Amino acid sequence: MNDALDVALRLLIVFVVFLTFPLLVGQTEHKVMAHMQGRLGPMYAGGFHGWAQLVADGVKFAQKEDIVPAGADRRVFQLAPAVALLPYLLVVLVIPVGPGEGAVGQVVDAGVFFVLAVMGVGVLGSLMAGWASANKFSLLGGLRTAAQLLAYELPMLLTAASVAMAAGTVSLPGILDAFEWWWLPWQIVGAVVFFVAGLAELQRPPFDMPVADSEIIFGAYTEYTGLRFALFLLAEYAGIVVLCGLTTVLFLGGWHGPFGADGLGWVWTLLKTAVLAFVVIWLRVTYPRLREDQLQKLSWTLLVPLSLAQIALTGIVKVVIS
Amino acid sequence: MAESHRPARSRVPGSGLAKGLAVTLRTMTRRTVTEQYPDVQPDLPPRSRGVIGLFEENCTVCMLCARECPDWCIYIDSHKETVPAAAPGGRERSRNVLDRFAIDFSLCMYCGICIEVCPFDALFWSPEFEYAETDIRELTHERDKLREWMWTVPAPPGLDPAAEEPKEIAAARKTAEKLAAAQERTGEGDA
Amino acid sequence: MNLAATHGFLSPTGVEIAFLLVGLVTLGAAVVTVTTPQLVHAALWLVVALGGLAVEYLLLTAEFIAWVQVLIYVGSVVVLLLFGLMLTRAPIGRSPDADSGNRWAALAVAVAAAAALVWVVVDAFRTTWIDLAGAAAGSTEATGASLFQNWVLPFEALSVLLLAALVGAIVLSRKATTDPVPPPLNSRGVGGGSRPVPDPSNECTGPAEQDGTVPDDGSGPTREPRSDAPPGRGKGALPDDGTGSTPDLNGSVPGVRSGTAPGGGEKPARQEGGTR
Repeated sequence: MNDALDVALRLLIVFVVFLTFPLLVGQTEHKVMAHMQGRLGPMYAGGFHGWAQLVADGVKFAQKEDIVPAGADRRVFQLAPAVALLPYLLVVLVIPVGPGEGAVGQVVDAGVFFVLAVMGVGVLGSLMAGWASANKFSLLGGLRTAAQLLAYELPMLLTAASVAMAAGTVSLPGILDAFEWWWLPWQIVGAVVFFVAGLAELQRPPFDMPVADSEIIFGAYTEYTGLRFALFLLAEYAGIVVLCGLTTVLFLGGWHGPFGADGLGWVWTLLKTAVLAFVVIWLRVTYPRLREDQLQKLSWTLLVPLSLAQIALTGIVKVVIS
Repeated sequence: MAESHRPARSRVPGSGLAKGLAVTLRTMTRRTVTEQYPDVQPDLPPRSRGVIGLFEENCTVCMLCARECPDWCIYIDSHKETVPAAAPGGRERSRNVLDRFAIDFSLCMYCGICIEVCPFDALFWSPEFEYAETDIRELTHERDKLREWMWTVPAPPGLDPAAEEPKEIAAARKTAEKLAAAQERTGEGDA
Repeated sequence: MNLAATHGFLSPTGVEIAFLLVGLVTLGAAVVTVTTPQLVHAALWLVVALGGLAVEYLLLTAEFIAWVQVLIYVGSVVVLLLFGLMLTRAPIGRSPDADSGNRWAALAVAVAAAAALVWVVVDAFRTTWIDLAGAAAGSTEATGASLFQNWVLPFEALSVLLLAALVGAIVLSRKATTDPVPPPLNSRGVGGGSRPVPDPSNECTGPAEQDGTVPDDGSGPTREPRSDAPPGRGKGALPDDGTGSTPDLNGSVPGVRSGTAPGGGEKPARQEGGTR
């Protein structure tokens, strides 16, 4: 009974985190983006500096009519948002926020592979949406999504493998247990490649060619309204949380910090994740969208060689120090 | 990715990217330029063209404004009254009395020609701008409304520091100088 | 791993029941994959089948294999498949040409292949049971150890095979360097300062065409006016059709020239001018 309670509590916490952290990131994006553009951002909803803007947005989305286009493939169209969103929920489950068994939803033996595999499944939702909408812009968005996923999955995997090589394990808590501070300069190239590839996989600006709103409206999500559209948006922001958390765990040492590693480990994890989320927003505000061919070129001619070089470096250092 | 277009001065690869990040970060730390309008009234510059006010005591129903208006958005009705002779034996005079003065602000394009041509200074720019209506027909404002706006007309702003002196002052000064010179001359003649 | 004697088929554990159920779902999804007339649905059902397979691996404690299955097959192969489908054709609804004419032969081949595989597996693992309660037999560590200790040679052979495939793909996708592709005619920005290519279908190409390419004496190549030329021009600019050498009033239209063509068999605009 106690076990069941424990599991239920963990699931509940993970679920709450899954529902609140993306909103936090979204609100931060509203405000940070506004101030980076010399604006104020939302100021009214909720009274104090528009803190409830996303809640208001959610209420608005819930009120909207759920429309399925006449020519669409109903089932697939309706299923797609769930396919896009649920994988991120599963990933949140396995990201360790602190040392020990208590600070992770569920310890998974092959954590790195689990995380990357499940995140790849999330993109399937965009593909389904793009195809099932019976809209040429959606189809174009779906195509671009697929092309982008194929290009950026490889460097992401390779750099994650580099960390796994360094730690000698593919379990996320295991990697954190093996972490030393000098891994930071050692794996820095891998970290950058992983982060950039992750951004591209999330279709965040400047890699948002699949949803390029000025040319293909909103890519695969063009035909969506109401709650289903909100689910897609939530998936994007949940993806940011997951990517930042994952980069923190794999490359930045998670709960390791200069001090207070025992009691305050989770603070370090959250802090690093928040800083990375800020960087995600910062990049979005700063850079223009990459063209489709530039996207592909960046991945195949820069990120893949860099990640291969990182793996080679990891291997050499590993052999030398062991 | 276009190496050929890269300016020669960026030696370090990625320095342009870093510069972009610096720009956005710097902007974030600065004050925003947003005007929170309904909460805070905007600080309008002098001579703002908000709405046209009518000072009807000055109006002689000469109709110049209505005729010059490019949009024909000024409606004026008037009638003539005879004024009894001021002195006994004098002639009766007729006078124009304003019955209606209305401006259709759904047509007005705020060119200000009516204000420019008014020879008796009966029309003025007011900075008042919050007179939106839900029906376009309600944008035709009659003389009482235009008169209310007259009281929101600010005093004309002072001259710029290095500006030329106003024409009327220059003219007055010239006349005064001439007069003084003439007086001096007559004084010399007397002496 | 224990002997079969300690296990019976009659009192199945929860894991075994789950294994069976997931197996049924996987089989069903696989059957739907090959029978559904909707192409993209087939690909999506394939996702279900492959995912079901991953769950089966999980139930057999082969966690690493399960996640790699999801990563490679669901995350990459199916995405590639969908990409290909969308790129070529992926109609919503049935594709009548998706049905093969020789379905019986295909069925026979499928059954034969399945039988062979089942026979091989059954024959190899006849009485072997995995102890699910004990240490995970398929954990990442165990898989890695057995892969790189007992099965290194097949692993390396496979990697060489993949390398060959990679090199082949690169060779196939490389363009032949001896045959440079000429730049397309209408491409903008090719040769910055050059004159625009005269386009006969464009009647107002401006002075560049007027001064050089069409001689003004009417002996040059006769070009027909466009049929959608404004009729007003036909009336006004060509009062003397058939006289040949009179340049029309609209000097910037070198194409409208009445040199050799009498008014009879012309476009409507010209006709109108000629009969006046």
